[in-house]
Amino acid sequence: MTPAKSPGPAGLLTRVAGERRTGALVVGGTPGGTVYLAEGQVTYAESAAAPGVGELLTASGRLAARTWQAALDAGSARATVGRLLLDQGHLTQGELELCVLGATYDAAYFALAAGTAAFHEGVRHWLGDVVSIDAAALNRESGRRTRLLNEIIANPRIDTAAVIPVPRPPRERITLTAAQWELLVHADGQRTPADLAQLLGRAGFATIQELRRLAALGLIEQPRARATDNPDFVRLPRMRGASAPAHRHAAPESPAAGVSIDLSIDVPLDGDTTRTRATPAPAAALATAAPASAVSTSAVSAPAVSAPAVSTSGDPPAERPRLDRRKPGAKLPKEIAAEPPQPHSGTDEVLLKRIRTALRALR
Amino acid sequence: MPGVKKCLQEAMAIPGAIGASIVDYTTGFPVAMTGAAPNEDHEAAAAGTADVVQAAQSRSLFVSAVPHDLLEDLIITTAGGYHLLRLVPTDFDSRLVLYVWLDRLRGNLAVARRRMQTLAEQLVV
Repeated sequence: MTPAKSPGPAGLLTRVAGERRTGALVVGGTPGGTVYLAEGQVTYAESAAAPGVGELLTASGRLAARTWQAALDAGSARATVGRLLLDQGHLTQGELELCVLGATYDAAYFALAAGTAAFHEGVRHWLGDVVSIDAAALNRESGRRTRLLNEIIANPRIDTAAVIPVPRPPRERITLTAAQWELLVHADGQRTPADLAQLLGRAGFATIQELRRLAALGLIEQPRARATDNPDFVRLPRMRGASAPAHRHAAPESPAAGVSIDLSIDVPLDGDTTRTRATPAPAAALATAAPASAVSTSAVSAPAVSAPAVSTSGDPPAERPRLDRRKPGAKLPKEIAAEPPQPHSGTDEVLLKRIRTALRALR
Repeated sequence: MPGVKKCLQEAMAIPGAIGASIVDYTTGFPVAMTGAAPNEDHEAAAAGTADVVQAAQSRSLFVSAVPHDLLEDLIITTAGGYHLLRLVPTDFDSRLVLYVWLDRLRGNLAVARRRMQTLAEQLVV
């Protein structure tokens, strides 16, 4: 999906919605998230910064955690969790729709904010299609929410940093809303806004909205850019990988040994014919050697096809860490010792046998 | 137990109803809408609705000191119409309000208010 990565999440959403595609728009970065589409309509969105439908329903006590888990177990595989909850009478259609709508707009605000986006065709969410939201409306709303926050106080660090209530209120008399009180009571100096939203089962956006208001009132600390945020401040030395280059040179040769033997046998053989020097592939070289022997061309070239595959499977050892010094004759560590026999198993033995037969026949 | 769409359809069946929507009043966004909206803009109307609800909820004039004496509905009358706002009580975290716009001549305020109460309760019970 390289061409789908170029625009931002919002741009990509507009595009895939315009093409009426079905799948998941995965946004990387922090907080990141996923927006699910069915035929160009958004059906669900999730983000680490926003509680999902399950968290909202269980944290509020609307559903027992057991009930939710049972529906999840039964319906995840066929994407019918939403339908199951309705059919079993745990939720009304209206409740489920409102909950999914709220959770989707909430998560989309975080997911569409920034990050690298990629579209995965055909992926469906386990909840099933409960609602369908116009992608343009979702984009527009996410943008509007950003402006709403900046109207309160334009400090986006409040949205992600740990919430620290001020030790002393800046005024003698303060008034809090119920939601603000809840946040202040649960802010322990460690919890981030996302933690608080999950803990309290409150929408992520509503949480940061209240936190920005609290910051504007001077009731929580305003996080500042710290010196450690600057990546160039202290440069750590690079990890020492002295053994890696040495391996990289050695490794491609050893597994390819089986192939290079074939060639070295071949070259003296065809020395008098003088036309096969240019053929690069061992398979072709062997095929020219075959007419001299009793073995048929097709029989030789068939096993020879596996030769390139063998040499590529020998590449991973280049990334292996350097081994500790061992006593002579000691066994290799298990994870490394398991690999080397691979190039020699099966087809190569057959190939060698045939070459030997061919050589014998020439004598 | 109707879905959101059905609920709005029934709201439009209230005598004199011109438009209806369900608004998230934390953000001022219409989660669902149908019919007409003041100035033909549901999103602008929702933003205004949210301001009104928040004002009523946070200003001490309307906030009751008695526990569980919560805001139920807001009624705004103009020369030409009635604007009814009914809070939708959900168990899970959401801040939603059902909004119905009525024509003043054809609408009956008392009837509309009772119908909206039923609708808001049916939606989530």
